[in-house]
Amino acid sequence: MNNFTLGRYLPMDSPIHKMDPRAKIGAMLIALIAIFFPAGWIGYAVIFAVVACVIILSKLSWGFIWKAMKPMMFMLFFLLVINILVVKTGDEWLTLGSFTIYSNAVIQTLYIAVRLLLMIMITTCLTATTKPLDMTLGIEDLLKPFQKIGVPSHEIAMLISIALRFIPDLIDETERIMKAQESRGVDMKEGKLSERVMAILSLIVPLFVSAFQRAEDLANAMEARGYAPGEPRTRYKVLKMERRDYILLLGAVLLLACMIWLAYFR
Amino acid sequence: MPITFEHVSHTYSEGTPYQYAALKDVNLDIQEGKITAVIGQTGSGKSTLVQHLNALLLPDEGEIHILDRVIKAGEKPKKLKSLRGDVGLVFQFPEYQLFEETVLKDVAFGPKNFGCSEEEAEEKARKALKLVDLPEDCYLKSPLELSGGQKRRTAIAGILAMDPKVLVLDEPTAGLDPAGTKAMMSLFYELNQKYGKTVLMVTHDMENVFAYCDDVAVVADGSILVHTNAQDFFRDSKLCRSMNILPPALIRMRDMLNEKGFDIPADVQDVDVLADYIAKQVKSHE
Repeated sequence: MNNFTLGRYLPMDSPIHKMDPRAKIGAMLIALIAIFFPAGWIGYAVIFAVVACVIILSKLSWGFIWKAMKPMMFMLFFLLVINILVVKTGDEWLTLGSFTIYSNAVIQTLYIAVRLLLMIMITTCLTATTKPLDMTLGIEDLLKPFQKIGVPSHEIAMLISIALRFIPDLIDETERIMKAQESRGVDMKEGKLSERVMAILSLIVPLFVSAFQRAEDLANAMEARGYAPGEPRTRYKVLKMERRDYILLLGAVLLLACMIWLAYFR
Repeated sequence: MPITFEHVSHTYSEGTPYQYAALKDVNLDIQEGKITAVIGQTGSGKSTLVQHLNALLLPDEGEIHILDRVIKAGEKPKKLKSLRGDVGLVFQFPEYQLFEETVLKDVAFGPKNFGCSEEEAEEKARKALKLVDLPEDCYLKSPLELSGGQKRRTAIAGILAMDPKVLVLDEPTAGLDPAGTKAMMSLFYELNQKYGKTVLMVTHDMENVFAYCDDVAVVADGSILVHTNAQDFFRDSKLCRSMNILPPALIRMRDMLNEKGFDIPADVQDVDVLADYIAKQVKSHE
């Protein structure tokens, strides 16, 4: 269970790791928007080159990036099948009896595939180089302007950091309960449908009970230390934008401008 | 038929930066029909060791013989389910595995998984619940309504209902009050004496080991440091102390008296005998 890569932080010493989370989140959002301009294959090549530079700078291995993409492959295959069935424009490529595969079906799928893969690369760059806690601090700061229209930015950040904090615990707990039920003769992997429903039930119910128990304990512990949401709070770690952070943001804006130019003014 | 570990090794997350060897070349003979205590410091590999007994974890190297079955490294064990029925494993804080609507149904869950009919399973559940001494008016309550001690009993009944030949317990008395601990330990003792079950128990409580266990196996850093009978183990309390484990009160008393000039032999492990020795030596001193 400990081998999923998507969204995991990799502690390393690189300029990207040291950057301000706000700059990184901002740059990621701008880059994600840039992907959605119809800038063609040249545009995607440019984005890929920029993202590749960031990956090299952040000292992440390509194997790690590849592992993060793998879970998407199934989805992309599914998309290809649907597109082949639905899209009926472009040249006729292959005819099997009364069924024809059109070129646009494949090309459209490729476009979506490239976009998705780029998106995963960019988000992986962010999550692998930013500590979850720094990330939530960044999100809190970025949401601050929206506080005026009633967005509870601090509460949202606290919610996210608590959720992240409990993921490893819940994975451990799941493994433990699974083993305990397996000791009672539950077969988690095979069996008739009714047996499998029972097996899942015997896992989910105790997991929920203990998750609620943990939530209550944590709430009490926080209240016992005087936590009150919405009250003004100081921070142990104060974020500070430096020159490299502005350079990253500038780069992202330039990338966006480049995509707009490629899409509409060429 | 004893339970034997032959050169068993187990490594977690092999081939990743988190690689960790929990068991290293473990050799162990556990006598049938005895109560064996497995002791050792936190992280020494006790829990990993006991999870091999019903093939929840499989050895990376070596083999395990248990109840005429063999679990070999690199081989998928056959008859896995029947092994799990014969070796009942009670995890630490087993009350977290309760999930059914009623206590009775939860205890009957195990036997049903091993192919018992509804009626048979219920009968076995009632028998197991009687064994753990849970009051009858609890049977139709939700497990979540019970007190902590009652939950623990229910969970243990859930394993006993499968009628295992070998009972493996991971810190069964952790978090129980002294009365609950005593009741639990007497239950395991009774199961061993009256029903001939082999009992294997991970524990930190030396009083329990002293009062109820036949044999002691000490696990340290993934290997078996000592495996001997309890009497020999308590002749010398140095080993206990070296592992930061508090020896039983009687042994501490014996050691303290000897430090102060008494001469009490190491095999004195009974309160009355100790009292006799003290009386005799005090008298002769006067």
